[in-house]
Amino acid sequence: MPSKYSLLKESWNMILMYALALIMIFVLTFHLLLVSPITGKTFEQVLNYSYVLHNLTYYRIVFGLLLYAAVIHGLNGLRVVLIEWLHVKRFQWIINIIIVILMAVLLAVGTYTLIAI
Amino acid sequence: MEKEKEEKRYKSGLLRSLWPYNFNVERYTYALHRITGVILILYLIAHVFEIYHLALGPAAWQQTMAFLGSLGIWEKIGLWIIAGSALYHGANGLRLILNEAFGMLLGKPVLPEYPYTPTSLSRNQKIAIYTILVIVVALWIWAGIYLLWGLGII
Amino acid sequence: MKVRIRRFDGQKEWWQDYEVDAKPSDTVLDILNRIREKHDHTLAFRQSCQMGSCGSCGMVINGLPALACQTRIGELKTESIRLEPLYNYKVIKDLVVDLTDFVNKHRSVKPWMIRKNPQELEEAPMEFKVTPDQNLTFVQFDYCIMCGVCLAACPTVAIDPLFLGPQALGQAYRYIADPRDEGFEERIEVLDDSHGVWRCHFAGACSYVCPKGVDPAKAIQYLKKEVLKYRLLHKKKASVKPAELIQKAPPANAPKPPPFDFKIEGGE
Repeated sequence: MPSKYSLLKESWNMILMYALALIMIFVLTFHLLLVSPITGKTFEQVLNYSYVLHNLTYYRIVFGLLLYAAVIHGLNGLRVVLIEWLHVKRFQWIINIIIVILMAVLLAVGTYTLIAI
Repeated sequence: MEKEKEEKRYKSGLLRSLWPYNFNVERYTYALHRITGVILILYLIAHVFEIYHLALGPAAWQQTMAFLGSLGIWEKIGLWIIAGSALYHGANGLRLILNEAFGMLLGKPVLPEYPYTPTSLSRNQKIAIYTILVIVVALWIWAGIYLLWGLGII
Repeated sequence: MKVRIRRFDGQKEWWQDYEVDAKPSDTVLDILNRIREKHDHTLAFRQSCQMGSCGSCGMVINGLPALACQTRIGELKTESIRLEPLYNYKVIKDLVVDLTDFVNKHRSVKPWMIRKNPQELEEAPMEFKVTPDQNLTFVQFDYCIMCGVCLAACPTVAIDPLFLGPQALGQAYRYIADPRDEGFEERIEVLDDSHGVWRCHFAGACSYVCPKGVDPAKAIQYLKKEVLKYRLLHKKKASVKPAELIQKAPPANAPKPPPFDFKIEGGE
């Protein structure tokens, strides 16, 4: 049964959410500034293949951090919404499995993108 | 049956929980935080797969851009909504972290006296909420000018 | 004054209108009693003290959960009143709701003083007192009259019937904040659960509608801070040792305070 030191407590989940949220405030602002008019480019120029490729390769680590933080924070949030909505206690584990699978898929696709370019 | 018992609760359910009619402004901020969060995670899932096409080469990227371009004005309106969601969700989330993890902006426990204005919903909290709303709306309008009118000015 | 009430007889639900005489100083409970006496004796509702102390008459008045005995017609500022049973509860009849789940959730957080030493009562020389400052940290949350109005306003209770609710969580904090209580570890398993304190997202509607100014939203945010401190730093809200709780008795030759400190006009 759950002990004092169990990491499966909901508090650890929330500590993770808060920490990732604080990280994302900085990293997401950085990403949004790269595609904002502060760079001097228009909307179409910002979507140019070589510009996007240059950004992702040059700031690979920052975008890696953004990917992991955003996916984990976002899917955890979705998990909270689903647990409240589909609150039958017997089926909570199904929600956890779906979220973990979705997280694995998104992180795999994202990591592959960052490594392959 | 568990489901039967729940269905008989008077006026409860997902839509009722997001309907803050008649309540305080914090309940509106909660509903908006939840809605923007769901919008953002759905967009993120699509966005990760969109950027994946970058790794498949310029041709795949052009195809993706052509698909988005075929949506016309809806692409820009969609991105505008998502920009607003991100701004609001982040700013409100910061306020919630201050409230929940650090116990700030809540006021001290006091002896209740009529008319029982709760200190957690009083002046400091309202100042924080309205400041956040003003900043978020200002940045959102700026994003709208950039996206919808195509003006690349700062 | 037109009054529209949501009726339920066990099978069908319907809205029923009544026309009653009302002064602005009448409360909604007065109107309900008048309807029951003169217009429709089948109307069911709960009441007891009629003065905002027992918490029986909770219902939704013009869309906001409130106590019927504490809501005056003049304050509502509308031509008609709409009365419904409390949201998020199972309706038994008309305006009477089933409070069994509510009471069970309250009981699950152990809302009583937990002390570890069973010999304490024999060993302590006098009762354990708290200083006025210590009292102020939790007395606000002690004013709860268990009316159930906060659970009707809470959006999480609306989606999730397993959520403990602002009342139970507020009472859990009342005991955790009390320096005389030693039961933090016993309660934390229930609180740090997937339907415990973390399903509150600070919508604040519970504090908005609370008729006694208990401010359960504040209690829950403070409770979250205590839970985080315990998990991260293993520091729990220090329960004061019995020796510190026993205040020294004043010396025998100290001047006695006067029996009262106000003057009665015309007295002496």
